[in-house]
Amino acid sequence: MTADAPLLAVTDLVVRFRTHEGTIHAVNGVTFQLDEGERLGLVGESGCGKSVTNLALIRLLPQPAGKIEGGTVLFDGQDLTKLREDELRAIRGRDIAMIFQDPMTSLNPVLTIEEQMVETIQAHKEMPKEDARRRAIELLRLVGIPKPETRLKSFPHQFSGGMRQRVMIAMALALAPKLMIADEPTTALDVTIQAQVLELLRDLTEESRTALILITHDLGVVAGMTNRINVMYAGFVVESATTLDLFAEPSHPYTVGLLHSIPRLDAEEDEPLVPIEGRPPDMRHAPKGCPFAPRCRWRLDVCWSDNPSLVPMVAGTPVVMTGAGATHRIACHNQPTAEERVTGHPMRPGFLPAAAPAGVVDEVGAGHLGGTPDGFEGLVHAIEAEEGPISMAPSAGALPLTPEGDSHNEGVFHDD
Amino acid sequence: MAAPTATIAPTVETRASRGLWGDALRRLVRNKPALLGLFFIIVFVFAAVFATVLAPYGPLEGTLADRLQPPSSEHIMGTDSQGRDEYSRVLYGAQVSLVAGVASVIMGVAIGGAIGAAAGGIGGKVDSVLMRVVDVMLAVPGILLAIGIVAWLDRGLPQIMFAVAVVNVPIFARILRGSLLSLRESDYVTASRALGAPGSRLLMRHMLPNSLTPLIVAATLALATAIIDVAGLGFLGLGPPDPRTPEWGTMLTESTKFLRVAVWLLIFPGGAIVVSAIGFNLLGDGLRESLDPRMRR
Repeated sequence: MTADAPLLAVTDLVVRFRTHEGTIHAVNGVTFQLDEGERLGLVGESGCGKSVTNLALIRLLPQPAGKIEGGTVLFDGQDLTKLREDELRAIRGRDIAMIFQDPMTSLNPVLTIEEQMVETIQAHKEMPKEDARRRAIELLRLVGIPKPETRLKSFPHQFSGGMRQRVMIAMALALAPKLMIADEPTTALDVTIQAQVLELLRDLTEESRTALILITHDLGVVAGMTNRINVMYAGFVVESATTLDLFAEPSHPYTVGLLHSIPRLDAEEDEPLVPIEGRPPDMRHAPKGCPFAPRCRWRLDVCWSDNPSLVPMVAGTPVVMTGAGATHRIACHNQPTAEERVTGHPMRPGFLPAAAPAGVVDEVGAGHLGGTPDGFEGLVHAIEAEEGPISMAPSAGALPLTPEGDSHNEGVFHDD
Repeated sequence: MAAPTATIAPTVETRASRGLWGDALRRLVRNKPALLGLFFIIVFVFAAVFATVLAPYGPLEGTLADRLQPPSSEHIMGTDSQGRDEYSRVLYGAQVSLVAGVASVIMGVAIGGAIGAAAGGIGGKVDSVLMRVVDVMLAVPGILLAIGIVAWLDRGLPQIMFAVAVVNVPIFARILRGSLLSLRESDYVTASRALGAPGSRLLMRHMLPNSLTPLIVAATLALATAIIDVAGLGFLGLGPPDPRTPEWGTMLTESTKFLRVAVWLLIFPGGAIVVSAIGFNLLGDGLRESLDPRMRR
């Protein structure tokens, strides 16, 4: 969008974990960019590579298993994948700050808030302790901690969860970073506090023109928070669009599935929730074909053999990576139609998801193919697929629902 | 999601708290066995510190004419084979045990702690090498290792302290390394690393202070075994070079010769060992419970 280079440009990032049980293909060629002051949401279910992508950016992958095996991370003109540890340390906290999921455990229990904040500031700036202290008070006031002068002397356990996350935000903001990464910052908080913390995060980053990457599994969280959204699945970005476009035209079957598995207040009364069947793929194998194919209701034969790349929805559109005019891109061979986006399942007459090749688990229950899912039957099918046929006849041990049975039940209660 | 509100609700925790150590102390005071242990320890330390005042006779004072007298008003714990007052000797023995126990545990914590901190803090090859050395030390039974060291360095109180310290070194090293390793993956260490804290400060400010609690518990429990080990070496004839030194273990050895005629010579030094060791054990267990991170929430 702008002529100058973006703040952050991640290109073909590949992260793998070498473990005793084999290689985990955590991130498989992720490319995205971020402008100054832009807020990007990374959405996907647990284990889809969102957190790993961001830990890889600042090279904090769990050692020694996690490794960046390819790609570049250009931040402010420097390739972070090639920096020395001490050069990176100067960037962490000062230019890129990170907020983690659980505020209850992200602060050191034996140090006061003051010690931890002053330490963070002094790690990057030559500053007398008194000045650092004043800055800490200012920051705590900024994030809405009442009586910051006295609270500075408190230990973390004297704060509630929401307050601790505010402290974490204050520490992350201490050095006015250019990029802030928030990894599920509100997952551990209760709903009312979530909204407050998110709003605080949005306002503060907006004021200071700090770019934000917000990692979450909750599409509701990113809706009001971000400019753009990347939907990730199995270590791939499967859909990328501005927040407006994504909610207006969710186009990847996975995004459609995500949106249909959240209950909505404005939903029609009898609109059923459509679950995404099955589980995320086993990341120990490099996927052959589209990683979402086993769970996809729209899959074609080609999906089993060819992993689609992330391309503009309208073929031939020039790709804009950042900003409000970012191109809506999607990695899918068979996009749901506008009508199907609304219903959450294929509506084409006679369409059936392509049969799985031999040896591949089909996660879409047989009871669901092409039709409206029937919750109970679907569940039975899903269980049968895993554990063999279920007998619906009452077994010998089952309690008969007769008067005798009732008195028998009472007896059980008396025994208790 | 609820509509975001501009006001920020202060949710300050109101429960009075005196910090980590204050809370732990409060829990400890409520722990009866730990208080009993503390009482035993106070008696033991009091006896050692004020032995010169409390003892009616000197530890080496006595005539053969008074030998092997049963407890009486004059000698409340009787006299030994040299006619020395057993009560005075038990009191002076407390001095030897206290000094030897505390010194050896301090030495052990210092050496073991340094090894554990290097292994857990630096990791990698340093960790592998140090831990293999520690494994070898752990493979040798403690008392055998102590005997070997005393035999090698010659008899003497400093040698005994060192030997007992060496027995404890691998235990402390493992404990500290273990807690450092688990802390290295903890959220707040990752969080401060993400905010650019250098490795040295991660270790000194964030990891070491948080790993001290298991070490404190282990050191308290180790005091109990140290006292027994010192007495054990004395019992095996590797006590202080001067055989007249009032050392509980040495006194026990001597008592075995007169077991049938003077059972009090066995009961009183033995009882002193038991009481002081149980005291440190009870306190150590109490500390473990009150410092347990799972009870902190």
